[in-house]
Amino acid sequence: MTKQEVIDVIKKNIVENLDDIKAEDIDPMKSMADYGANSLDIIEVVSCTMRELNIKIPRAELADIKNIDQLADRFVQNMNQSPQA
Amino acid sequence: MDKDQLLKYSMLDFFQNDSKSVLDPPADFEEWYSHPLVSFGFKFAGQPMLSAPSTITKIQSAVDDQARRIINLTSYNYLGLSTHPEVIQAAKEALDKYGTGSSGSPMVSGTLDLHVEFARRLAEFKQKEDCLLYSSGFGGNLGALQGILRKGDCIVIDEKGHRSMIDGGLISGAKMYFFKHNDMASLEQTLEKCKGKRTLVCVEGVYSMDGDLVKLPEVVALCDRYGVQLYLDEAHSTLMFGENGRGVGEHFHLEHKVGMTFGTLSKSFGGVGGFICSNARIIRYLRGYSSPWNFSCAIAPSTVAGLMKALEVATRDSTLRDKLQANTAYMRKHILDMGLDIGKSESQVMPIIIGPDSKLLYELAAGIQQRGLFLQPVTFPAVPAETGRFRMSISAQLTQADMDEALNIIKDVIVPAVKK
Ligand SMILES: Cc1ncc(COP(=O)(O)O)c(C=O)c1O
Repeated sequence: MTKQEVIDVIKKNIVENLDDIKAEDIDPMKSMADYGANSLDIIEVVSCTMRELNIKIPRAELADIKNIDQLADRFVQNMNQSPQA
Repeated sequence: MDKDQLLKYSMLDFFQNDSKSVLDPPADFEEWYSHPLVSFGFKFAGQPMLSAPSTITKIQSAVDDQARRIINLTSYNYLGLSTHPEVIQAAKEALDKYGTGSSGSPMVSGTLDLHVEFARRLAEFKQKEDCLLYSSGFGGNLGALQGILRKGDCIVIDEKGHRSMIDGGLISGAKMYFFKHNDMASLEQTLEKCKGKRTLVCVEGVYSMDGDLVKLPEVVALCDRYGVQLYLDEAHSTLMFGENGRGVGEHFHLEHKVGMTFGTLSKSFGGVGGFICSNARIIRYLRGYSSPWNFSCAIAPSTVAGLMKALEVATRDSTLRDKLQANTAYMRKHILDMGLDIGKSESQVMPIIIGPDSKLLYELAAGIQQRGLFLQPVTFPAVPAETGRFRMSISAQLTQADMDEALNIIKDVIVPAVKK
């Protein structure tokens, strides 16, 4: 899976979990909070995305991530090293 | 999964559940739970106390399954009122008169004269028109917020706000925002997003994991500027802050600016239950719409009688809160002298921040317990991963000898490990 495909999965989950937002309006260099996500929404988006990508990263390790692009990088890195991917 | 990797996970990582039956937890949760350190953590949290949760008590230790005398700096018995002789006497008398239960929800038949009188006294104490009693603090926050907020409203909570406020907000269907802890620029940005909507800002007097105070004057100024209402959770400040013990609202002389004030009866009061105080019209309305009040049995009569006496004892003079302040100052000075990190604590809630190594945290918890000191570790997600800690509750009940013994144990066990 390419990074762009991972970003698309994240975007899809943002659209499903937040009100009034379209995938094409999401800039990966921004954070979900910029689109009105609260911390519970972010947990939901991250959980749904990891489930779809069949990866599992401890939440404590994602605390420092600043935007959607960094989140995608972290997911891609995990998919490359994880035997499940 | 290898064992060290497992320890990086937390309760936040097992929310999703793909098992076939809803009665089966996720398989990887079971694997995580069976790690010896994780099981020990759960066992440590569930250690039974063998007598009252006072500052000196006995515990059935999870470390070696021995019954052991401990200095207890974990219970929320901030003023020691749960074992105050007058409180116990009042509860006993009510037990003889009313029996063990209220036998009904307040909406139907659970209201006894004791509940009416206690609610009246709490409203008078908090200088509000009326008061609603709940059978738990959690239910009080949840029921107040769920009861007054609606879809289309905004609820704006400090990111360190208690779960009960979050759950109340979630059930209400209001749009929920969190602002950065005590950060007024972040609160202002959030209030901009809520412009034109009915909005409630929710803060705590004393924050429960860090022991710092809300920046109430600044929060009030922003609420005024945006024309929104303020909800103040005084779970860890009622009976302890302010000239008359009314809480952090009184401490800042801003009680009149707090639209609805919440308190729990389980901490400084030494019993169980919760209450909210506000204007009489909204309290009357809530009696129809606050589910934990409508549909859950009222506090037991003996507990109410004990609580009413606790209110009297704690407010007839300032002895208890003065003692609490003196004990807090003493512990604070000596903990700081040891070079330990108590974060931004300004109250009787005093963390000792250890760091991200939860294995070390549990080793220290076991070590101090074997020496006779009980402190509970707090880890992610309750606090940020890098700030794993012990959360100390200072109590007015602590004697000089108790404090010196506790400080000695901390100096012998925790200080060398943290300095390494
Ligand atoms: C800030 C805060 N609010 C509400 C509650 C709930 O109170 P209770 O434990 O009495 O249900 C707690 C305690 O757990 C708390 O720390």
